[in-house]
This record gives sequence, structure tokens and C-alpha cells, in this order.
Amino acid sequence: MSGQSQRLNVVPTVTMLGVVKARLVGATRGHALLKKKSDALTVQFRQILKKIVSTKESMGDIMKTSSFALTEAKYVAGDNIKHVVLENVKEASLRVRSRTENVAGVKLPKFEYSADGEASKNDLTGLARGGQQVQQCRVAYIKAIEVLVELASLQTSFLTLDDAIKTTNRRVNALENVVKPRLENTISYIKGELDELEREDFFRLKKIQGYKRREIERKMVLAREQQAVEKLQLLKGVSYESSNLLAGTTGKDEDILF
Amino acid sequence: MYGFEALSFNIHGGYLEAIVRGHRSGLLTTADYNNLCQCETLDDIKMHLSATEYGPYLQNEPSPLHTTTIVEKCTLKLVDDYKHMLCQATEPLSTFLEYITIATLAVAQNMRELYRLVLVDTPLAPYFSECITSEDLDDMNIEIMRNTLYKAYLEDFYRFCQKLGGATAEIMSDLLAFEADRRAVNITINSIGTELTRDDRRKLYSNFGLFYPYGHEELAVCEDIDQVRAVMEKYPPYQSIFAKLSYGESQMLDKAFYEEEVKRHCLAFEQQFHYAVFFAYMRLREQEIRNLMWISECVAQNQKSRVHDSVVFIF
Repeated sequence: MSGQSQRLNVVPTVTMLGVVKARLVGATRGHALLKKKSDALTVQFRQILKKIVSTKESMGDIMKTSSFALTEAKYVAGDNIKHVVLENVKEASLRVRSRTENVAGVKLPKFEYSADGEASKNDLTGLARGGQQVQQCRVAYIKAIEVLVELASLQTSFLTLDDAIKTTNRRVNALENVVKPRLENTISYIKGELDELEREDFFRLKKIQGYKRREIERKMVLAREQQAVEKLQLLKGVSYESSNLLAGTTGKDEDILF
Repeated sequence: MYGFEALSFNIHGGYLEAIVRGHRSGLLTTADYNNLCQCETLDDIKMHLSATEYGPYLQNEPSPLHTTTIVEKCTLKLVDDYKHMLCQATEPLSTFLEYITIATLAVAQNMRELYRLVLVDTPLAPYFSECITSEDLDDMNIEIMRNTLYKAYLEDFYRFCQKLGGATAEIMSDLLAFEADRRAVNITINSIGTELTRDDRRKLYSNFGLFYPYGHEELAVCEDIDQVRAVMEKYPPYQSIFAKLSYGESQMLDKAFYEEEVKRHCLAFEQQFHYAVFFAYMRLREQEIRNLMWISECVAQNQKSRVHDSVVFIF
């Protein structure tokens, strides 16, 4: 994967290492949280799916009964019943309201129906014949509407949940497969660079120490020769000055760091 | 009058009576209904109907058939029959035939329709002027208004039949009395538990029939179906209707009434030289169309187990 080799474009310093490590911790925690959310949504999703299936099954029966009730009403009251019923309707007696429900941070639309108290509006319809059938038909269709509203609410939340689950899963995958590897790569890169630097320093130190030791040895050899010479001269009677030369050079040597 | 009408009836009414009796033999029989009940699709129904008098009306229908189309076409056949007879009829049969259709006119569709029907000169207009004043028109429940009109129509029809006299009066008064009583019972049952007051309910009953006047007083105070039943059981002709029903049950009442009605209409054909056959024929056709609607709805909605619930066999 391309994400494996990627890393952030940062300066390999100790500070940056700390920052990136903090980011990795954050990403891991976010990943765990999102994973939990996705699981919760999936559970809800399954429940809704189950409900939708059962509601759809019952809807079939209820619609069948209600349309048959209409047939009964038509049989008894005649075809013209439609106009009378229409005439008596002033406003809708069933109303659907929508509200939102919060499931794991996802706002699901829920529909609720509410019946107004005007149930007796159509009471006198089909007075001479078929009144009861009209009422029965009305009751049957109210039941059908209830089921339809429930189904609509379930379907909408189903779609919304589906969307939410997809988004969450995409995020989880992005964190897992892109962000986290990238941060990890960056950390290992910074660590590698820092090690490299350290090794260079160590090498340089070694090198300098080597130089210094060789210098000292050379001087020791020189001094021994000098002493030998001085001993010779002492024996012969030489000046005091030349022995002072060694002491002066050791104090002022600029190459020695420590 | 009785007996003498045989002398002169055929001068004007003979042809039409022959026609209506011919139409009667075109009504679907029990065997036809049994075949129709066996149908699996609406196309099967159409195929069965093509052998009957409805055949020419349905034959040009394209194949995805709908129940409303069937009902529409069958009604068209009824209307055509009626128009044919009305064209041939002379007085007083033509008036009689007009009376029959007022029943369908009375099913006006809304307030404006009613108004229009009144303004255009229709047979309904006189009823309007006699039962409803113009200020009532605004705030009156359309259903009550329609029932008031229907009551006026029934009473007028009844008076007209009495005027005709002879076998017509005898048979028609029986049929109309049944119609009026059925209305009274239905109004009572349907208005139980509504805001309709007892006085208003009483006003909607027609002023004739077996229940008039004492039964109406009792019906007006009924509060549940069993009280209605108690009232009806005092009248021998209606005892049989409730005998089929168990207590507290009103579902099958409509069917029982329809059956009784069909029986009475069939009996009307037993006598000759009277006009009631026309009324009976129209009503039987209406019932037949209802049956067809029921069967085709049952078939269309896959409710074949209930197909026998509401079909009223005519013969």
C-alpha cells in the first residue's frame, strides 16, 4: 500500500518526536471510539431491519383488510359514498409530526401520528344504508395509516443509519489504514535519524580522542627525548628554559575539548 | 278496478311488460353465480359474462380489467335498458319509470350538485321546496338533507302508486313499505351513538310502512342493536330476518335485508298486468351489479373465502 511508505514531512528532532507520538495516541483513541460507535450503529441498524421486515409483513395483511372493508362499504352503501365522505371532511384528522432521535450521535428522523378529536365527523355518512360499514372502513384505513407511518419512519431511519454507518466505517478505516501507519512511519523515521546523529557524534568523539592520545604520546616521546637530552645537557650544563616549553603548550592546546 | 285491468293493460303496457319479463330472464342465475365464484382472475369473469347479456358491453374492454370498469359497464347496460323502456312508455307508466330513477338522482354528490339539481328542473325540485327552506341549506348536514329528500320521495312515490290502484298499488305498496321500514331500521342502527337527536331521527322515517306509526316511536328511542331487534320482532314479516342473526350482531343484517328484498321483488313477477315488475326488475339488476362488484372485488383482492358472504342469489 502507498500509505505504508508515507510519512509526514517533519524535521527529525526530539520535540517533533514527542508531538507525533501524542498524535498517534490521539489517533488510536479516536479509532477505538469510532469503532465502538460503528458497532452501536450496526446493532441499531439490525434492530430496525428486523422491525421493518415484520412491519412490512403486517402491512400486507392490514392493507388487504382495509381495502376489503372499502369493498364492503361500497357493496352496502353504493359507489356514490365517496362524494359524501369527501363532502364531510373539513380537515385532516390524522396528522404526522416528525421529531429526531439521537442514536450514538446520529440524528434519526422519527414520524409520529396524532389523531385529532374530530372522530365523529363522518358519523352520519351512509345514514340510510351502509353507515356502519363506512365507519369500519374508516377504522381499518386508520390502522393502515398507522402502519404506513411507522414503516415510513423506520425506512427513513434505516437510510439515515445506513449513511451514518458508512461514514463511520470510512473514518475507522481511514484512521486504521492511513493515519496510524503514517504516524508510525514518521516516528520510526525520526528515531532512525536521531540514532544516526548520535552515531556520528560518537564517531567524531572517538576520532578526536584518538588524535589527542596520539598527540600526547608523541609529546611524551618528545619529552622523554628532551629529558634524555637535558640529562645529557645537565650533565654537560644546559639552560633551564627549554623544560618550560612543554608546560606552556599543554595548558593552551585548543584542540582538546575536555 | 281489480281484474278489469287485464282488459286494457296490454293496449299500452303489454309490449313493455313483455320486454321487462324478457330482461328478467336475462338476469344471472345461481348456476352463473357459482361459475363466477369459481373464477381466478377478472378475465375469467369477463369470459363468463360474455355469455350473458353483459357480453356486448364488456367485449371491447382491453385486457387489464378493473373492477370499476366491470361495474361501470354493467350499470351502462341497466341504464340502456331503462332508457329503452322509458322511450316506449306512455302515461302513467312513464311517470312510474321516472319515479324509479329519482332514487338514483337522490344520490346527489354534494351541496352544489344538489343545488344544481334543484335549479335545473328535475323531479326532485318539488321535494326540495316542500322539505327544506333555503336558510336550512347552509348549515344542514348533507346526509340529513339527503335522507329528508329520500323520505319525501318515498312518500310521494307511495302516494302515486296508491293513485294508480289495482295490482300495481297492492304490490308496490308492499315493496315500498319494505323499503321504508328497512330505511327506518338502518337509520336507527347507524345513528346509534351519533349526535342525531331522537326527534331528528324520528323525522327521517317515512310516514308509511309496517312500522308506521307505533314502531317508529319505539325505534326512535332505541339505544342499541338489541333494542332494535326487540322492536322488529314484534312484526312477523321481519322476524325471519333477525332469526338468522345471533344477538348483538349487525354485520349480516344488510345481507339479510337484501335477501328479503330480492325475494319480494321476485314475487312481484308472479302477477301480471301491473307496473311493479319494472320497479322489481330495476332493483334486481342493481342487486345483480352489486353482486358482480362483490365477486370481482373478491377475486381481484384474493379474498375468495369471503366471496359467498355477500352474494345474494336472485333465483
